[in-house]
Amino acid sequence: MNKTHLLSATLLSALAYLPTAQAGENLLGYTKGAEPLPKGALELYQIFTQRSDKGQGTYDAIDSTTELEYGFSNRFSGSAAIIGHSVETKGLIIGGYLPQEKSLGLTLSGIEAQLKYSFLTPALNDIGLSASFGIDYDTIDQHSGQDKDTLSANLGLQLQKYFMDGQLVWLGNADLETTHATRDPIEGIDDEEEWPTKPEMEVGIGISTGLSYRFAPNWSIGAEAIYETEYETEVGQERWSLFAGPSLHYGNKHFWSTLTVLGQLSGGGETYENQSDTNLHLIEKTKQEVKFKLGYNF
Amino acid sequence: MKSIFPLFMLPVAAITCPAYGIQYLSVEQAQMALYPSASQFTENFLELNESQRDAIESISDIRQRWKTQKAWKAYENGAFKGWFIIDKVIGKHEFITYALALSPSGEVISIEIMDYRETYGGEVNEADWRKNFIGANKQSPLELEEDIPNISGATLSCRNVTNGVKRLLALYEVMLKP
Repeated sequence: MNKTHLLSATLLSALAYLPTAQAGENLLGYTKGAEPLPKGALELYQIFTQRSDKGQGTYDAIDSTTELEYGFSNRFSGSAAIIGHSVETKGLIIGGYLPQEKSLGLTLSGIEAQLKYSFLTPALNDIGLSASFGIDYDTIDQHSGQDKDTLSANLGLQLQKYFMDGQLVWLGNADLETTHATRDPIEGIDDEEEWPTKPEMEVGIGISTGLSYRFAPNWSIGAEAIYETEYETEVGQERWSLFAGPSLHYGNKHFWSTLTVLGQLSGGGETYENQSDTNLHLIEKTKQEVKFKLGYNF
Repeated sequence: MKSIFPLFMLPVAAITCPAYGIQYLSVEQAQMALYPSASQFTENFLELNESQRDAIESISDIRQRWKTQKAWKAYENGAFKGWFIIDKVIGKHEFITYALALSPSGEVISIEIMDYRETYGGEVNEADWRKNFIGANKQSPLELEEDIPNISGATLSCRNVTNGVKRLLALYEVMLKP
């Protein structure tokens, strides 16, 4: 059985036997809510994230997540997802990150699973609180499109508060993620500076907050800000970034969708050679991210 | 690995089911459901000024969102049987429309859900849940998970309908009490 078949079989098994998942209807693109999915509920999500512009050359990447979430109880839900990436990069070489130009079509590359437990319900308690634990396995480096085995575990806390009978919603998240990654060798590149193949460990921390306001039946506008930082074995704090931007959300009885556009306001850590805008982190991040989510309630 | 872009589009294609809502009852149907023996309904829409809305909020601790509250008087053979009031509260996606029957002395006779378009919680329209409001008056706590049970997946809807009834009982005290 080759690698593709093995991964496909694993994914199908995960979807069939591990109906674990994420977070129900998302009012914002990145910051998740604390509302539990009710017992027996089954929802399907399709999420596309476009990452573009590293300030030099051409860089355009799309991440795809196709996810099923199931409510095991009125407080406990789980999800399973298949993930994929496409990467188009030209005119920019970054040692250790973008070793060569690449054109990779949207390709199935990994799986995710997550469990979520809701301690407090926002509509019942003064504030909603939930915790999530997830693992994901990926075989493609989402930055370069090169082969890279990545195993991550993440722990998250979600807060949610209703105002104005639920017309205005505040959301806040804190996430901690640890990652073990090993890059596959690239033919013709033997320099460890250009493409290190030794295993590495990373720890990432993310904090986000946002507001969503329903301005008409079914329609909400929102805004959120996301701070992320990452620490790595070799260099300590490798990067940090602050993104912010608006969201537009539509939801009805059967499906919902959310469109979010984020710009990087500030960033730091490593920079690539001759990077013109040194106030941004543009090695692992881009200047702009656009996220589009669709959710279907069975 | 082989590009499988078309596979990723399958879920998008699946999410094309057109949305529709359920209108359970028209105004006339709700009137007949709450006052089956009534022979006449007299329109008596209530225009609320700021101080009246403040008074309602002061009594119920719930904001009176509407400046006009649609109300009718129900009569049976010329005898005043009670108030029929239509109200809207916020659901997760859309407004939930319901009708409340209040006795002349300000007690809940019954409640009917007229329009509910949310993903979960269709149980709010079931008699088992609605009967919890019967007999409620200004002394009743009307608190979710105390005297009114919650419906999982529709907590916001349950809370706002419960608060809506509490607010209409306060409206009775401010505007309708003889």
